[in-house]
Amino acid sequence: MSRLLTGLAAVVLALTAAGCAARSAGSYVDRGIDFTQYRTYDWGPADALPAGDPRLATHAYFQDYVQGAIERRLAVRGFGRPASGAPDLLIHYHASITQRIAVDPFDREFGACYDENCRVRVTDYEAGLLVLDVVDARTGRVVWRGWARHGVADILNNPDRMARRINEAVTGMLQTLPAAAQVTAGTSSLQTGGKE
Amino acid sequence: MTRHRRVLGLAAAAIAALTLAGCATMHVRSYVGRDADFGRYRTYGWGVEAALPTGDPRLDSNPFFQERLRTAVDTQLAARAFERIDAAEADLLLHYHVSVTQRIDVNLIDQKYGYCEDCRPEVYDAGTLTLDLVDTRTGRLVWRGWAERSIDGMLEEQDWMEQQIDEAVARILARLPRTL
Repeated sequence: MSRLLTGLAAVVLALTAAGCAARSAGSYVDRGIDFTQYRTYDWGPADALPAGDPRLATHAYFQDYVQGAIERRLAVRGFGRPASGAPDLLIHYHASITQRIAVDPFDREFGACYDENCRVRVTDYEAGLLVLDVVDARTGRVVWRGWARHGVADILNNPDRMARRINEAVTGMLQTLPAAAQVTAGTSSLQTGGKE
Repeated sequence: MTRHRRVLGLAAAAIAALTLAGCATMHVRSYVGRDADFGRYRTYGWGVEAALPTGDPRLDSNPFFQERLRTAVDTQLAARAFERIDAAEADLLLHYHVSVTQRIDVNLIDQKYGYCEDCRPEVYDAGTLTLDLVDTRTGRLVWRGWAERSIDGMLEEQDWMEQQIDEAVARILARLPRTL
């Protein structure tokens, strides 16, 4: 009985680990830049980074999810689209999927083994990486880059879960983007925008 | 006999421990053109930015990485009395390349000698920074230096990344055959 429980615990932990191991995020910022000079943004042309995975490029909703999530988070950070004229910032993103290797760390610690030799399992998984660049429209310099990485095994065929994952990733990465110049009008227009 | 074996085992374990530490520490090496006369070189210029993908989209065309690297290299070379001028006129042309690959360390030796408590294979991302110096007159590569280490967690932290760039560049260029 207790062996079964330990086994179960190991499986649960292994599943959790598969999610955690693949999840990471970070950002870089141009420290010499005063972000309070920026208020508006627009989508710029994609850059020359290697092409994304065809499963994402041809996905019916992926790009909508990503763009929607980014636009919502940017609004929360105080950035909006320009009413007229040129935007302060141009943004573009790049998504890719790479195969990665993971070593299952839990079997041994919990004494729950797949075979009598208690060998470590080395597994491979696919990790999705989303990179977002924020470019000063005037100078053409990238002033901020954020990224998030997560396993994609369970989301490629599940649009709802994909939308949720992308939201989490975008929210997490844009947390570190310095906020835009404070404009009270921007906040209120966001709130009314939600009701319409 | 047993004693002999134990010593051997310990030695192997020590080597293994060093190798293991290997994935966390930085390895720095270089090649030098045997017929290159470094006393002759006074000036250098930056070559065209390499368009090769790094193997990690987080680092591809990443200005935060690139600018920190260039500053670190310029500082180190200035300290060795190299003068940076326009690439078309310089004695040396400088290129760099960064690549990232995922590696596995299976800790085989440790397991065999029972030296590790936690003999698990480890997976890590290895990052390599390569600096090349080309003689502009002959077009030949006269020196190549590189640093390699695990970059796990490094790209998550801009401060740490910058500090590692500085350290890698300083240690690579310390191997330049130049005494002043």
